[in-house]
Amino acid sequence: MSRLSIRQVGKTFPGNRGKAPTQALQPVSLDVADNDFITVLGPSGCGKSTLLRLVAGLETPSTGQILLDGEPIHGPGADRGVVFQSYTLFPWLTVQKNICFGLREKGMPAAQQKEISERFIAQVGLRGFEDHFPKQLSGGMQQRVAIARALANDPKILLLDEPFGALDNQTRVLMQELLLGIWESARKTVLFVTHDIDEAIFMANRVAVFSARPGRIKADVAVDLPHPRHYTIKTSPEFMGLKARLTEEIRAESIAAAAH
Amino acid sequence: MQAAPLHADEPAAAPVAVPADKPRMKLLVPVSPRRRVWLGVAFFAVFIAFWWAITASGWVPPHFLASPWKTLQSGYDLFATQNFIRDVGMTVWRVVGGFLIAAVIAVPLGIAMGAYKPVEAFFEPFVSFARYLPASAFIPLLILWVGIGEAQKLSVIFLGCFFQLTLMIAMIVAGTRRDLVEAAYTLGAKDRGVIRRVLLPGAAPEIAEALRQVLGLGWTYVIVAELIGASSGIGHMITDSQALMATENIIAGIVVIGLVGLCSDLLFKKANQRMFPWSLLR
Repeated sequence: MSRLSIRQVGKTFPGNRGKAPTQALQPVSLDVADNDFITVLGPSGCGKSTLLRLVAGLETPSTGQILLDGEPIHGPGADRGVVFQSYTLFPWLTVQKNICFGLREKGMPAAQQKEISERFIAQVGLRGFEDHFPKQLSGGMQQRVAIARALANDPKILLLDEPFGALDNQTRVLMQELLLGIWESARKTVLFVTHDIDEAIFMANRVAVFSARPGRIKADVAVDLPHPRHYTIKTSPEFMGLKARLTEEIRAESIAAAAH
Repeated sequence: MQAAPLHADEPAAAPVAVPADKPRMKLLVPVSPRRRVWLGVAFFAVFIAFWWAITASGWVPPHFLASPWKTLQSGYDLFATQNFIRDVGMTVWRVVGGFLIAAVIAVPLGIAMGAYKPVEAFFEPFVSFARYLPASAFIPLLILWVGIGEAQKLSVIFLGCFFQLTLMIAMIVAGTRRDLVEAAYTLGAKDRGVIRRVLLPGAAPEIAEALRQVLGLGWTYVIVAELIGASSGIGHMITDSQALMATENIIAGIVVIGLVGLCSDLLFKKANQRMFPWSLLR
């Protein structure tokens, strides 16, 4: 059974001041199985982030239905952890307290909160930074805390919206390896939105390719590269073959998007 | 043959001191704390020197404008022989009292307006209208309604502070970063949790700053309130001195108001820095 089931989900935003409504997403269907790592790849403004926000419950679909473990979703909740592109750590809370935010909301005893947060701080390699405030951290470190904060809640699925988009290239590659390592050991279910082709292939077991706005899934490509994956895999013939294919798919859409 | 590393044989060049150049970009460059204090004190000195020069030159008759020295003497005299400290105490009590009553209502109301758009739609037009009503113009009415006692003084300060403060707080809370609110919801927080754990702590430093500014506003209203129908307070002393043409007392009173205001401002700033250290990080 698939863990997350997106069934004919479309989104149209009402027009402002008499303007025509914008269709951000054509009805899309996507099934995410347990332990899947699916990347959603598409040009900017194609509606892939809208799809993620719909799954997160931050937007309501205009058509269709989203089921998580067979239950329709209603609004945001702790069962879907989200990591945003912008830095969304609470600036008034330390690293540790940020990670405990969801746990405290559940009413978990402080000792248990501490234990869990310490485990995830270690997992994202931030020991020694527990009492730092977000503004004292680099962008990459902030996103690592954001991942730890989402994972600490033990969500059924982790949703990431271009989380490394604002990072420099070297940091981004390290973050990809870190996230992939977490996924390989914890076997979480992940839906990851990106416009970076390398990133999409490197981490995923399936890549859903989006068309230009209004978005729809134009290709669903399986990535059968072995695990654990090392960064050197990016130069393997299999990787290069996938990259060539996805580059073609995306190029056509980027041209279509630019023509609008 | 192996290529030698570049310049390996050359002696290491001594670092050449760069001649101190005049900074080309002067805008927005911070000054050191010491220099800041120094510059701040310097203007007070310039101001007092200018004041002294005008009075000493005889350009302005002394009963129009007392000299700095005379003002200082009369200030001492006010405290030493005329129990002026009681007036200052009364005035401080009134400002703080009226301000606190305003804050106790304005803070929750402003937060509710900022967080819930229907509440904002309900109150905002009226509060925006009331904000422009001059509190001093209500003094005759307030005397009719509540007499000339303390209630009238507190009411004037309340009217002057309340609407301003409510609007400022509503705007601050409404300006909370949307992505932080969304992040809190996705972490499992409900509306109450988001208010308590995101809107409030996020807005707290700016709310404290708004309180500081509005307390300053309270000082301008208290004196007006005390000019009419008061038997104590700095404003009352000023009206009494006007009847006696004692400009040195009036100026001393004004200076005391300025000093008390400066102290309360500093205290507020220090308290904010202590309470919200995270908001000072860059």
